[in-house]
Amino acid sequence: GAAWARGVLSWARPERWLASGSLFPLSCIHTSTSLQKIGKWEKKNRIVYPPQLPGEPRRPAEIYHCRREIKYSKDKMWYLAKLIKGMSIDQALAQLEFSDKKGAKVIKEVLLEAQDMAVRKHNVEFKSNLHIAESQTGRGRYVKRVRCHGKGMFGIMKISRCHYFVKLVEGPPPPPEPPRTGLDQAKEYVQQLRNRTLVHTL
Amino acid sequence: VVVLVHSPLPRLRALIQRCWGRLERGLWPGVFGDHSQPWGPALAMQGLALVPQGINDGGESSAVAPSPLESVVWMAAPKQRRTIEVNRCRRRNPNKLIEIKRNIDVCPECGNLKQKHVLCGYCYAKVKEETRLVRMEIYKKERGPFNAPTVETVVLYEGEKPTEEDEGKRIIERARKRPSWFVQN
Repeated sequence: GAAWARGVLSWARPERWLASGSLFPLSCIHTSTSLQKIGKWEKKNRIVYPPQLPGEPRRPAEIYHCRREIKYSKDKMWYLAKLIKGMSIDQALAQLEFSDKKGAKVIKEVLLEAQDMAVRKHNVEFKSNLHIAESQTGRGRYVKRVRCHGKGMFGIMKISRCHYFVKLVEGPPPPPEPPRTGLDQAKEYVQQLRNRTLVHTL
Repeated sequence: VVVLVHSPLPRLRALIQRCWGRLERGLWPGVFGDHSQPWGPALAMQGLALVPQGINDGGESSAVAPSPLESVVWMAAPKQRRTIEVNRCRRRNPNKLIEIKRNIDVCPECGNLKQKHVLCGYCYAKVKEETRLVRMEIYKKERGPFNAPTVETVVLYEGEKPTEEDEGKRIIERARKRPSWFVQN
């Protein structure tokens, strides 16, 4: 962290370095040891695209947000993440508000935070014009504890935690894919048969 | 007896797993020093009450007694580990996914979301809060349980005077403007 910051400052503001009389390279840098490791999902918000050319279609804004170490099981959280995949943010908030699951409250908070971030920092005009492109769960750190049974027996239980990741994209939600019918499958099969050729021949 | 092992070596872990297996199957009753139970057959078999007597007799009787394993009920146990593909098919089956609710509407009073067959949560909360304050005023008058008068109660807000209908009723005064949803009669 300190080396990176030093590297950045040295080429960004050289005049400030030379202005101070004695050489204290680390005095201008605010070194903080609060965050141990910034996760990959948080870093996705930092990518900066080059300016778009006049003819290109507008790139929709993408907002990445996550919450770490939620006291909930990742398998149970997955059902909620699967529920809101591909919905608009208003519909997702409505579904989560009336869901009885513990994780629904957490995901709702995460979505509201992400919506707020989108409006303030990511240049999103309408807060309702967002849809959920990706929503995933991950495994957090597990802790093993002893669970006492009768007759002096014990078991080892694991206290599980999970992460929740969400990606909001500006724009209306994409239309759902039409389900594959038998006719589609038959067409694909016939097309596969027609694609067969003789190899290593003229 | 509490044993917690953190990151044992592979051989040590194998040893502990074997010991644990034996503990679970009841093949190691002497660990906790509890010798009250007689050592019985270790397998989960029903219908076998006696310890097979052939152990003590050893080589005395050459004729083998009818095998005790014939009149036995076997318990169900999984034969093979379920693969992750099979597990996923079961866990992600549409009947296990959460269904989307189609009975969510907008409350015409406050604009929050509400379910069709349920009262609006926000409106209910605001009425509950006002009721709590009215009850606090009532408590100030009554000063204890069992002091409720035998007449009706009327709640009056700022700038309101009791009408002719409220002649004999008990009046509770609230120091605020009348809320729009509390209609005066």
